[in-house]
Amino acid sequence: MIYAEHLRKEFKKIVKEPGLKGSFKALFRPQKEIIAAADDISFHVPKGEILGFIGPNGAGKSTVIKMLTGILTPTSGECRINGKVPQDDRKNYVKEIGVVFGQRTQLWWDLPLTETYSVLKEIYEVSDEDFKTRMAFLNEVLELESFIRSPVRTLSLGQRMRADIAASMLHRPKVLFLDEPTIGLDVVVKDNIRQAIMKINKEEQTTVILTTHDISDIELLCDRIVMIDKGRNVYDGSLRELKAKYGQTREMHFEADPNAGLTPEKLLKGLGASDEHITVECDRNLFKVRFNSAEIPVAKMLNHTLSVTAVRDISVKDADIEEIIRCLYKEGADGDE
Amino acid sequence: MNKIRKQYLPFARAGIQTLIAYRMNFLGFVIGGLIYCFVMYYLWKAVFLSSGGSTFMGFSMTDMVLYLFLSNMTSQLTFSSVSTDIGEEIRDGSIVMRMIKPVNTDMSYLFTELGGAFMKLIVFGLPVILGLETYRFAVSGTVMFDPLNFLLYFVSASLAYLISFRVNLCFGFVAFYVKNLWGIGILKNSIIGFLSGTLIPLAFMPDILRIILEYMPFASMSYTPVMLYMGKYEPTEILLRISLQLVWAVLIYGLSKLIWAGAVKRLSVQGG
Amino acid sequence: MRRFFRIYRILAAQNLKRVMEYKADFLTGAVSFLIDQAVGIAFIFIIFSQIPQLSGFTFEQIVFIYGFSQIPKGLDHLLADNLWCVGYFIVRKGDFDKYLTRPINPLFHVIAETFQVDAIGELVVGISLMIYVSGSVNLYITPLSVILFLIAIPFAALIYTAIKIATAALAFWIKSSGFVIQMVYGMNEFAKYPTTIYSLPVRLLVTYIIPFAFAGYYPALYILTGNDPLFNIGGTVLISLIFMAIATFIWHKGLSAYESAGS
Repeated sequence: MIYAEHLRKEFKKIVKEPGLKGSFKALFRPQKEIIAAADDISFHVPKGEILGFIGPNGAGKSTVIKMLTGILTPTSGECRINGKVPQDDRKNYVKEIGVVFGQRTQLWWDLPLTETYSVLKEIYEVSDEDFKTRMAFLNEVLELESFIRSPVRTLSLGQRMRADIAASMLHRPKVLFLDEPTIGLDVVVKDNIRQAIMKINKEEQTTVILTTHDISDIELLCDRIVMIDKGRNVYDGSLRELKAKYGQTREMHFEADPNAGLTPEKLLKGLGASDEHITVECDRNLFKVRFNSAEIPVAKMLNHTLSVTAVRDISVKDADIEEIIRCLYKEGADGDE
Repeated sequence: MNKIRKQYLPFARAGIQTLIAYRMNFLGFVIGGLIYCFVMYYLWKAVFLSSGGSTFMGFSMTDMVLYLFLSNMTSQLTFSSVSTDIGEEIRDGSIVMRMIKPVNTDMSYLFTELGGAFMKLIVFGLPVILGLETYRFAVSGTVMFDPLNFLLYFVSASLAYLISFRVNLCFGFVAFYVKNLWGIGILKNSIIGFLSGTLIPLAFMPDILRIILEYMPFASMSYTPVMLYMGKYEPTEILLRISLQLVWAVLIYGLSKLIWAGAVKRLSVQGG
Repeated sequence: MRRFFRIYRILAAQNLKRVMEYKADFLTGAVSFLIDQAVGIAFIFIIFSQIPQLSGFTFEQIVFIYGFSQIPKGLDHLLADNLWCVGYFIVRKGDFDKYLTRPINPLFHVIAETFQVDAIGELVVGISLMIYVSGSVNLYITPLSVILFLIAIPFAALIYTAIKIATAALAFWIKSSGFVIQMVYGMNEFAKYPTTIYSLPVRLLVTYIIPFAFAGYYPALYILTGNDPLFNIGGTVLISLIFMAIATFIWHKGLSAYESAGS
């Protein structure tokens, strides 16, 4: 369905030194630098899958999305969606996709929502009949009814996002690109949006590519994730595999007896574990220990802790996905240096 | 004084940096203005040819060239974008960010603009004056530059700047009522362009209109300094014109303060 | 083609609805351009209060040329005003993304999106001036000349649009090209007056390089004198087609250089 092969996109950037002096320098001799916002990005997405496309800020997610949607022309490499190269026949290609940029809206700001839909109907050449059934479906999934007649500028962020998703779905796209669809929304609204995405994906077999910073989005929605950092692929696989691979991290929380006078140094002493497998944070008597259970078995860790101090309360749990991703980012960054 | 320097100099520096960052836009306005001057130059040349005389209502062709370029340059130098700046800030609400800083709000605008004006003077004003003096020298064969008139021009143009800044500040507050800032800008520019004599020297206008306009604040914004540079006024009139500028500077300062106070109230009523 | 008209009509209708929401803004805009025009005419009045004719043209003829020059300008302003925004911020802020994800020509889309009613100011003044002096100038009126003159109007407007497209498209490379549009568009001042008042280099410039003379003076000259229809009218059509071709070429080159914005 979607094939991205060795995508690369370069940008020219003018480097400016700070301050007044730098401004003057940039005036007379601008320093240019070429940076690759995306470099050798490859992945495939089968039909009907929801792919989570993640990475830290500035990793190049949006650049890749913009190449896939035909907005940017890759410097090298190629992408094919439904057998079409976006840049070759843009007009016909974009009829098959829907795009939502969470930070921008494609709705007519000053006019009621219905007006935007009737314009889009013409632009995408949706027949009257299709339009009717489509609006009914979107209305049901995204619950637009209560605000469809209000001017867009009066909508809340959550309503606007629902409206934007509906706008991108009007023409029954085969692929839906969602760039940060839950950004800035509260938990209840986020959940609403997720339900809707799932429903659309299920009922229409729409392939979805989703970028997000919200880990719950990924856990709840995505079959698979592709992670990029500094313009390069760092992970491609299912969430479960990721957890299995990096999920041996455990977190132990306990409250030490104040009389025991425990310090992180004292705790680590005699354990014989290297720094990369264990980190200790402490706030007065509250300790948080993160360790790799493959290197330091949980039982050993518990016994050791109990042998050096008396504790009031102790618990060990799996590290959550956020933690794993933080590790991965860190690994990517270290590998780069 | 030292406190002012410390507190407001960063704003002036920011003004210079903004002008450099948007140097191309600035260049666009300068070149646009020069193109306009050239159109007017040819038009006046045709007018002089058609009138058959060597002077037209007391202006020689050399006077006319001087007037055209000087008044265009002066209005560019005293041009203040504070009306659009403040309008934008009112519209998107970021004016609140300015108001929470522990400095005088309109002073911060003024210093930001002064930084830009300083740059304009150096990269645009001085070359134009140099070019005009070269032209006058080429036409007459003698050096026509008069340091006293230049000094008078500088003093008067500085006053013109302060008046223009305050007038623009007042226009900026219109943003509380109207969203079409672009339209307001066109309106403001054509009104000021006409009333200040940038478009047509006030001397060419019918007497009644001329006398009224000469006493209005707009004449103080570019006509007065230009006429001073050209040495068109007698000593007593010089005194009168500059005092008039001073009076307007004070009056408009008061007016902008009044509007500002009203605006702040309005802001707090709207809740930012 | 029919689809284009249909979409244009729908988008224009949306725009009008928006204008109705902000009546004060519409009034400000129209009045602004009206006053801007009034000031320009006052200028001509004051000059002619002192001289009987200018380079062989009477006051009424100059007013006619001036009035006519506002019509192509106003038409372009009415229909293609959004190009300014492309140059000033649509590209720089990355908002051009939207047009690229729609299945219609982005150039058409971006132009069709704005229907700038402020232009009423220019059109009303232009037409009124022409009517006002039409009694006192000798127009060269035959069925053919009227047809040729009317044909020239949309092509003259197209010259404005072409120049704006070409200069706005530079934003795809340099991010913000508002200043270039401003600079080049500003030369339309030359179109308001007979080119005979300019020196030869300027005359060549405004005839062939930034051809605003064809968007005002030349077609007006034809209906005033009946002279040289091949140059005055044919030239307008030919120049506008050539410039439109160049402009769309630059635009399409620009699209592939578009870099969007942000992360």
